[in-house]
Amino acid sequence: MATRVEHPVGPAWQRGKVASWLVTVDHKRIGILYIGTAGFFLAISGFLALLIRTQLAQPDGHVVTGDSYNEVVTMHGTGMVFFVMVPVLAGLGNFLVPLMIGAPDMAFPRLNALSYWLYAFAGLVFCFSFLAAGGAANTGWTAYPPLSLAAQGNGQDLWILSIHIMTLSSLAGAINFIVTIHNMRTRGMSWMRIPLFVWSIEIYAWLLLLVLPVLSAGLTMLLLERQFPETFQFFRPEGADGGGAPILFQHVFWFFGHPEVYIMVLPVFGIISEVIPVFARKPIFGYKAVAFSTVAIGFFSMLVWAHHMFAVGMPTYLNIWFMLASMVIAVPTGMKIFNWLATLWRGNISLDTPMLFCLGFLSVFTMGGLSGIYLAAFPVDWQVTDTYFVVAHFHYVLFGGSMLGLLGGLYYWWPKIFGRMLSERLGKWVFLFIFVGFNVTFFPQHLLGLLGMPRRVYTYRDDGLWHAYNLMSTIGAYVMAAGFLLFLLSIVKSVNGRRVGNDPWQADTLEWYTTSPPPPHNFDEVPYVTSARPLYDLRRRLREAEST
Amino acid sequence: MPGSVRPKPLVIVGVLLGALLLPAASAFAGNGGFAPVPPESPNAEGIHQSYLFISIFAFAIFLLVEGLLIAFVVRYRRRTRPRNQDGAQIHGASKLELAWTVGPVLILAVIATFVFVKLPTIQDVPAASAGNRNMVVDVTGTQFTWEFRYPNGAISIDRLRAPLGRTVELHVTAPDWDVIHSWWIPSLGGKIDAIPGKLNKTWFSAKRTGVFQGQCAELCGLYHAKMLADVEVMPAAEFDAWLEERRSQQEAGTSPLGQELWEGSCAKCHGAGGEGGYGPRLTGSALVQNADAVATLLHNGGILMPSVGRDWTDEEIAAVTSYVKEKIGNQG
Repeated sequence: MATRVEHPVGPAWQRGKVASWLVTVDHKRIGILYIGTAGFFLAISGFLALLIRTQLAQPDGHVVTGDSYNEVVTMHGTGMVFFVMVPVLAGLGNFLVPLMIGAPDMAFPRLNALSYWLYAFAGLVFCFSFLAAGGAANTGWTAYPPLSLAAQGNGQDLWILSIHIMTLSSLAGAINFIVTIHNMRTRGMSWMRIPLFVWSIEIYAWLLLLVLPVLSAGLTMLLLERQFPETFQFFRPEGADGGGAPILFQHVFWFFGHPEVYIMVLPVFGIISEVIPVFARKPIFGYKAVAFSTVAIGFFSMLVWAHHMFAVGMPTYLNIWFMLASMVIAVPTGMKIFNWLATLWRGNISLDTPMLFCLGFLSVFTMGGLSGIYLAAFPVDWQVTDTYFVVAHFHYVLFGGSMLGLLGGLYYWWPKIFGRMLSERLGKWVFLFIFVGFNVTFFPQHLLGLLGMPRRVYTYRDDGLWHAYNLMSTIGAYVMAAGFLLFLLSIVKSVNGRRVGNDPWQADTLEWYTTSPPPPHNFDEVPYVTSARPLYDLRRRLREAEST
Repeated sequence: MPGSVRPKPLVIVGVLLGALLLPAASAFAGNGGFAPVPPESPNAEGIHQSYLFISIFAFAIFLLVEGLLIAFVVRYRRRTRPRNQDGAQIHGASKLELAWTVGPVLILAVIATFVFVKLPTIQDVPAASAGNRNMVVDVTGTQFTWEFRYPNGAISIDRLRAPLGRTVELHVTAPDWDVIHSWWIPSLGGKIDAIPGKLNKTWFSAKRTGVFQGQCAELCGLYHAKMLADVEVMPAAEFDAWLEERRSQQEAGTSPLGQELWEGSCAKCHGAGGEGGYGPRLTGSALVQNADAVATLLHNGGILMPSVGRDWTDEEIAAVTSYVKEKIGNQG
């Protein structure tokens, strides 16, 4: 399948500056569209986060009403999960996977374009749901019934619709990734030689494929019961024939919801596994362990869902099972952290911006992993679940983990994607603001949770410490926002940034073999792959040839 | 590529440590949020001990990882080496990797064992004995209030009274037509969800008198943040007297139940004095003068108003309608 694809020249109207982007089936352009659109949703969801923090800066804040606050919380969570993290990783994967495996494009370029446009339309539905009668959805990103059944207006229905469309987009994308990785690797690229980022995208795609249909089923049930309450009683306990069980939805949701966390973080593990070796000038420590731990995490992630539900009153044997299964996931995750640390050992470490973000990731993701142990131990979970402790925990995983790693990846691959560098000088400041702001925002939230502050409250008791920690958290959020504005500034400035050659970082994987940015067909020829570091091998052979 | 950036990581680490110490300094007066609120009941005590036990390992691993990270970055930074000079080409070390796979397994096994040993003291309701009988209280969460029904039929709203040293079993649920709530008084134990159509049980046995605060911990709609609860623990004899008095007041129609229902259920939407808020203004409304009409509204709900009183007893309906008529209706 890896034959050279001839790019036919389309009709004249498709060659315009805008039109060519609308009709493109080039995986690189689609990747850029994904990343750009995700950036737009990051701005929206980030703004909602600032609203949350501004409201909570003082007890009895009046920035938003209690009603709007629930909408803001719901749309912030939904936006960040479904319209920022998952698609931005799909975008990065889109751009990189074919290049990394030496392929000319994805296996199904038109399906790829369909995935992107479904995402764009799902995003439109998401945005316009703010205008629905009764406002946007306001029952949390988890939309537990019966609350989500009782929600007035059509915000909740549009929320369901937007996620349904997004699910189709991700499923098509996942199939495309899997087929591409299985069939289009270049000569010599065996499974033990594919870049670790590609491994992580493989597991990302399998997880999407396995758990998204379950979410779709749950949302369909919710939609049916909202629209035809007389006919369908899946979740509402009152009903003609004894009705349904509200807990059923929680099982369905978290069977999807927990793997979703790994969908958002595994590709970032992949980024870390690419960046750290390049900036430490070493091979990854334990390639197989890192690759197989990704598979293990993906597998176990589907066996732990009810640790989100310890407070619903499950039988003890189920609590014990979900506790032990959740703890087991800590083992492959810990392996990765130690393998990354060992990759630094005796290296030649350059602290450029991509590396700073990845080291920042290592330092705070560890903390997100450790706070997870408290949540896995179900009696302790009874104390901290549904509090700000949980909010802190998952932001340490999904912001400190996913977002910092993602920013590292963007800084690393930016010169490949656009042929120009992001400013290193500004980059250091971006890192400093975001990293410090992140910790100031989310560390105190652990303490708030332990002091008894539940999540998803629009106001809180006027208690000295609660106020102090909340205020601190709000200040941190604004520091972070400043960091993101600086990042935006460096993107704008990068239009005139320094041009780079094929391989500015002296990296090891095939995407750096072609020009920056790559031509539409990616490669004129691809070297035979002899290890997981084809370019390292190539450089070594060149040196040997020169010396003889 | 810019030149050396050596001092940066140290600056960053310094700033981070500073940021972490800021709350630490202000916090060690109490435990400041570095551990759950001080436990006042054996089940909360068991949770607290499990929390501290896990913290020992979590803190050690945290120090190990961050220590290695900082040490490696400082020790192996580039300095004057060319940026593309190879580091040591080490591809792995099976024994080492086995060690950091087995090590965490052992640590987790120790943590799990400790938690399982503590579990009975947290989960199992202590058996009643002759001198120490258990009291069962039915706890019902509705939007946005907690109702407590005591064994003798007495009812209280949002504040649960409990006897010192006696085990209190809580049977927690929500009405079929309501949404999910979560019962939580941090110093008296963990959460248990109040789920429509499901009866959950938890317990506490307070070790000192006082008022312990908590609030609903599961998003339940508009005034989730206002769904507060507290437990007032009294000496056992004082409690028994209160319970009897409450029962007889309730029968005589002189109990504060009407006011409690108003504050817990009505006032959150209609304002503390009925001046209106999310819900319409009640002062000056002809409707509140008509006890039957109010009772019907409470039972069936309105356009946006949930049917808050659907499961209320006749006593509760009577208490709240007469309170509304007197206190709100007469404010014109």
